[in-house]
Amino acid sequence: MYRRHVERDLERWAGAGWVTPSGAAKIREDLANSRGIGLAGVLSILASVLLAFGVFSFVAAHWDEMPRLLRLALLFALLWAGYAAAGVLFARHMRTFGDAAVLFSVAVFGASIALISQMFHIDGNPPDGVYAWWIGALVAGVLLRSNPALALAMVLVCVWTAMEMGQRQRVYWPFLIGWAAVTAAYLWQRWRPGAHLSGLALSLFVISLGYVLNKGHEHQLVVGLGLATAFTAVVAERSGKDWTGFAPVVLGYAIVTALAGLLALQFYESPSRDTLMLLAAATLALLLAVIWYGQKTGNRGLLWLGYIGFSIETLAIYFNLVGTMLSTSAFFLIVGLIVAVLALMALRLHRRGLNAEMTS
Amino acid sequence: MSQAITIPKRTMWALLALVALMQTVALAYVVYSRDQLLKHGREIVMQVTPVDPRDIFRGDYVILGFPMSRIEITGEKFGALSEGLESGGEIYVTMTPGNDNEWSVAKVSATYPKENGPKENGTRDAVLKGRVESVDRNAAPDKTWVSARYGVESYFVPEGTGKVLEQQVSDKKIQAILAVGPDGTAATKGLIVGGERHVAPPLF
Repeated sequence: MYRRHVERDLERWAGAGWVTPSGAAKIREDLANSRGIGLAGVLSILASVLLAFGVFSFVAAHWDEMPRLLRLALLFALLWAGYAAAGVLFARHMRTFGDAAVLFSVAVFGASIALISQMFHIDGNPPDGVYAWWIGALVAGVLLRSNPALALAMVLVCVWTAMEMGQRQRVYWPFLIGWAAVTAAYLWQRWRPGAHLSGLALSLFVISLGYVLNKGHEHQLVVGLGLATAFTAVVAERSGKDWTGFAPVVLGYAIVTALAGLLALQFYESPSRDTLMLLAAATLALLLAVIWYGQKTGNRGLLWLGYIGFSIETLAIYFNLVGTMLSTSAFFLIVGLIVAVLALMALRLHRRGLNAEMTS
Repeated sequence: MSQAITIPKRTMWALLALVALMQTVALAYVVYSRDQLLKHGREIVMQVTPVDPRDIFRGDYVILGFPMSRIEITGEKFGALSEGLESGGEIYVTMTPGNDNEWSVAKVSATYPKENGPKENGTRDAVLKGRVESVDRNAAPDKTWVSARYGVESYFVPEGTGKVLEQQVSDKKIQAILAVGPDGTAATKGLIVGGERHVAPPLF
């Protein structure tokens, strides 16, 4: 997508004489080098996931034709073989293939935990096994600087938290320690998809707080945390203090969190008509601000988030009604008029900007 | 994906070996400590009741219900001992043996209790360490229900034999053989089904 887009612009810019032919060639070269992990890389990661599932099923089958010690030895051998394969692949500069091998070994480590608990009928606390597993994945990911292993670590932190929270029916705060450890590794690696995983995991956790804390009615906390984080991210981005470069990502997930809290306040709780109207207006105002800011900073993800959020909010009001059908209609008409006025103002600002540019 | 990271070849091999070694040692440690517990822990046999589900990671297993899985605490019987108990926290139950391997809960506490010596009839209490699942203090006046797990509730069986075992178990009595360590940690050694002892041989 991006490459095609740049290619199109490049032709235009070169035609206008803004970019020299040698400059265009350099840009194309850079684009070709920065092309993600490629199909082969994706397939190797998927293959490693499939093999890992094979190992897990082998453990789950509890095949008693094979002595327990031999089964354990087999898993240990697979674990070492995976890391050895990774070494060979890394030495040949096949980074992604090596990462796939590391991912496989980390999965075998998890399968070994399952096998041992099966062998000794350890029931105890199943989340403890997942806890040991994410630690193992994190250690491997950090020492070998392997992003897929780090991605698995975050997924496991979430599984571990979900299991603990399901058992206890209350907030499992140690999640934050695991989350922070894995997120620190992403920052160290400067891995962008990792920032998304971190954002998603933390958003889910914060949103769940609204349904668990205060007997399941703490959504204003979710909204507050989301808005405060969004505000911080905007300040960091505007003041140029975003040393991680992840502020736009943080902003997006903070908005998702705030929006989830606002939706819960409006439609999960049962507020009075006035409160509902106030919350709906505030939500729409927030989403308009998101769209405006996305437009201003050229953040397409934010822009889409704004559009999608706006659609969800509008549809939710339509189906849930603000009081009666008539007052819902009035609500939509008023909001519609306000947005129309905003559109006119935006157009005028845009024109004035163009005029100023021409006269100067 | 990420920035190109260049780690010298020899360092990379050393790091790979380190990761593999750390993971292997961690796993081997669990195997060793379990093996030691099974070999040297005090063996007790307890009446249990079975239920049968399936585990997505580890295959078929039978869930065993123990006399201390759900404990009724009444004001006079256990005093204020349920005070420190909270869901997710530790629980120590002191079990007293009765006739026919029928064990009953004698005492409950949140910390390791002072152990009673052998009784006049030659039997000795056993202390088991568990994790509280839930504490229900409002079930009835003066009555508290505590659910807890001790890490011995699952018994894993080869694929397809879960149902068979369950059937064997439904009419006959089933007993669990536990090994209990000095800190109260328990491990399952095996089962006694219809008087027949099923115990896996030691690993090594």
